[in-house]
Amino acid sequence: MNRILIAALLAFAYVVVPLALGSNAYVVGLIVAALTIGGIAIAWALLGNLGGMVSFGHAAFFGIGAYVSALLTLRAGWPVFPSMLVAGFGAAIASIATMPALRLRGPYFALAILAYAEIFRILATELKPITGGAAGLLSIPRLPNVLGLDFGSKLGGYFVILTIVVAAMVAYDLIRRSPYGLALKAMHDSEDATRVVGVNSTMLKAWMLAVSAFITGMVGAFNAHYINFLEPDYAFAGQWTTLAIVSAIFGGYRTVSGPLLGALVVYLVDQLAFKPILPQGHQIVLGVLLGAMILFSPGGLMPLLLSRLSRKEASHAA
Amino acid sequence: MSRKLPNVSVLALSLMLGAVPSIASEIKIGAEIPLSGNLARVGGAMNEGIQVAAEMFNKKNGKHTVKIMTVDDESSPAKAVGAVEKLAADGAVAFTGGYGSNIIGPASEAAEKLGKVYVTSGGVASELTKRGLKTFFRINSSDGYARALMGMFSEMGIKSVAVVYSTKEATEEVAKMLQAGLGPRGVKVTMHAFDPATNDFKPIIHKIKLQDRPEAIAMIGYENDYVGILRAAKVLKPDIKTIAGVWSLATSKMAAEFPDLMENVSGTSTLSYPAEFTTPEAREFAETYQKMFNKAPDYLGIFGYVQSKLLFEAVARATDAGTVDKGGVAAEMRKTQSDTVIGKVRFDEAGDNPEFTHRMGQHQNGKVVLVWPADSATGKVRYPAVPW
Amino acid sequence: MLELILQSLFSGVLSGAYYALIALGLALVFGTMRVINLAHGELVLLGAYISYTAEEKLGLDPLASLPLALAVVVATAMAVYYLVSLIKKDRELNSLILTFGIGVILTNAVLMIWSADIHSATTAWYHDAVIPFDILFAMQAELVFAGIGIVLVGAVWWWLEKSWYGRALRAVASNRDAAKLMGVNPQLTEVLSFAVSGLLATVAGIAIYTAKVIQPAMGHHLTVKAFIITVLAGMGSVPGVLLGAVLLGVVESLTVTMASSALQELAGMVLFLVVLLLMPSGLFGRAKRRG
Repeated sequence: MNRILIAALLAFAYVVVPLALGSNAYVVGLIVAALTIGGIAIAWALLGNLGGMVSFGHAAFFGIGAYVSALLTLRAGWPVFPSMLVAGFGAAIASIATMPALRLRGPYFALAILAYAEIFRILATELKPITGGAAGLLSIPRLPNVLGLDFGSKLGGYFVILTIVVAAMVAYDLIRRSPYGLALKAMHDSEDATRVVGVNSTMLKAWMLAVSAFITGMVGAFNAHYINFLEPDYAFAGQWTTLAIVSAIFGGYRTVSGPLLGALVVYLVDQLAFKPILPQGHQIVLGVLLGAMILFSPGGLMPLLLSRLSRKEASHAA
Repeated sequence: MSRKLPNVSVLALSLMLGAVPSIASEIKIGAEIPLSGNLARVGGAMNEGIQVAAEMFNKKNGKHTVKIMTVDDESSPAKAVGAVEKLAADGAVAFTGGYGSNIIGPASEAAEKLGKVYVTSGGVASELTKRGLKTFFRINSSDGYARALMGMFSEMGIKSVAVVYSTKEATEEVAKMLQAGLGPRGVKVTMHAFDPATNDFKPIIHKIKLQDRPEAIAMIGYENDYVGILRAAKVLKPDIKTIAGVWSLATSKMAAEFPDLMENVSGTSTLSYPAEFTTPEAREFAETYQKMFNKAPDYLGIFGYVQSKLLFEAVARATDAGTVDKGGVAAEMRKTQSDTVIGKVRFDEAGDNPEFTHRMGQHQNGKVVLVWPADSATGKVRYPAVPW
Repeated sequence: MLELILQSLFSGVLSGAYYALIALGLALVFGTMRVINLAHGELVLLGAYISYTAEEKLGLDPLASLPLALAVVVATAMAVYYLVSLIKKDRELNSLILTFGIGVILTNAVLMIWSADIHSATTAWYHDAVIPFDILFAMQAELVFAGIGIVLVGAVWWWLEKSWYGRALRAVASNRDAAKLMGVNPQLTEVLSFAVSGLLATVAGIAIYTAKVIQPAMGHHLTVKAFIITVLAGMGSVPGVLLGAVLLGVVESLTVTMASSALQELAGMVLFLVVLLLMPSGLFGRAKRRG
């Protein structure tokens, strides 16, 4: 994508969207929720695309980030933004506990991470003195007022999550273009070959896992301060993982922008279009979308759009 | 990348907003309820009560009618907030519904921001009414459940209780209240937490049977847990004098589906079953419920009905006074002094109903008989008595 | 205390046999096709709900509903197989996501058809007590289905080891092309393994409906349990499924007896991770490289 297009999209997201929709709390709320899913989806896709690992337990990192930030602000009186950053590191540190799973292949890794998420959830329920147990944490501080900007408002929340998501995409793109990204790409083709040329593949995978956990933890922390409530079942809910997977697969997890596109389309279409038609059980549509995408375009929506676009251009040129 | 989204949402939004011209005497009420996800069952039951309340209100109240607009919150806090905002955008003047304290929390805060009343019966956490909200009301609380259970136990003269509870938020809270409330009365309490996914309760009941040897077992869980616990107890036959629980237990549904399992089991209850309705309102309620849903009302439906009815009346009064947009609904809610199907209801400053006490019902020969407190009892308690 | 532990072991073994029933179908498809069917728990659930409908509407005993439930579940399993077979590349991971999507569809379909109410068999006989040696306690249904579970594990083991089809199945699993050369139709064998897996899911569903309580949201939980057991068992080990399931059942019930039921899921997950990370071929599997 060229720079002008990116600048235009950023301007659109930061200026046009707030101006056009800012007064409608409902739609802004939906977009914030979609961006939240999008943030996890980007982190998930980074691990899947660069690390070659499918995770079924990103809720683990989401929940840890949420709890770290909520506890720092509630119990230690920290300001919100630094807490969110530390929450990212907390999730990255927690990911070290999951790193033994890195030597597992494919589905084993996916479900090992799921087990970790489950273990963290039970620990959060049982460590009552720290986490408040099943009753959870209430009245988690909102996002603050900084320099006259009220980030605690709906629109403020939008700017914060938008910035997290944009930063995650920039980081993803930088890693992808770096020598490490190239090494990771080579690793897909042949792990043994990369080992021969001196790339420590396990170390690289571990870094990708930590980065992915960091982003997910930040998103989890954002959500805790945005919703102001936290309980183990919610913080470690499977839906944080599943919605992110659906989004990433749908949008195309091998691209940087695909997961975000997927999250926006899946979440907003689900909520705005399918929910009014099928008040109960409209998630069935998510299952259908996911299945159809895997069968007919395993690369996702983004590559599909791009190939359409380039075919059109090709025919114009001809 | 994000260019596609606003087009979609703006389009969908204009479709939704454009389609609702308002009719003068019709008042729009928003219902935010879980109809899917893990709270779908309880949400569905509450929804039935809300629909019955609207039907009855519209039938007898010539001047105003209410229109219920329902949005499924999918058992998710963020979607509950979204539901409240969407309903407000569609013209709802107040909200009824909500299930689960963690969902009601953010949803009612969203309603507070909009300055609109939110009334519920689905969240019993005591924190909910400690937030200083001006527009939050609920007709029940975990206190009431724990009080009823303890009241019955102390009337029976029970000296030791084993509490078996699910590690969920509401169940844990009631269990802790029992522990805190029974201890000072000289009752020996032992606590047994179980994971919500547990389906074999024999090891727990066995521990209770051999180690605790209590006079009573208190179950704080949900329907599937009760069935599992009672089946395990029926197999192990611990030497107890009574077994009791809280919500979803002394219900017509349990009596009909698991008759042999429920005999002599007690639980919090609002109505006897088959309901012996003493007031015309209660009779009409049961008839309407039967007509609309082809079944007898359960306690969730009753709560949904009462909370909505009180809300409709308050909204109607505020409409007459022309104060709906000036916080009049909340003011009218605070004036509520009503004798309802669940007993007296009034609201304190925090929005709690200080009158709320549950009754205890006991399954007897396929019926639910109210056995506590004495002044609303419809029969004699069987004690000592167990299902085996 | 001894009495508690004995009962706990007994309960654990019974739970294990019931877990084995749930896990066997998943393990079979995984062992033969390298496909983890994440909709397996939902197939079990579907069987359970058909059994419920048969009891509720037709007055059938849960076991008598087997033919009806079998027809529906196996047909659904066939549909799952057909969709999975459409996947052309990267089948291991893509099938994971596809079957996950199918699981979401089935869960919501069950919710829409049967609502979120809980159900369980009402035939009292199944829930009556059996008290072997005067100190061990169980429900009749638990003994019945533990017996059925053990028999089915034995039957599947015999089928895979001794019958021609079974050997063909294993041949396809280890080398598809070579099997083709030997005159085995790989597609047919895969269909067969899915069909048998559907049969096992049906029986598991009836067991759950009879002995436990069913609700629409439990499918995913069942799949996860089944996968844990498959890992404990090790790839391709049918007797391992039974042993792994019993181990899980015993660890869970001992956790309840020694500590608290609130920790039982934790114990299961930790056992799963320890075996997964330290014993790459499972407890009872043939040595296979996994990492």
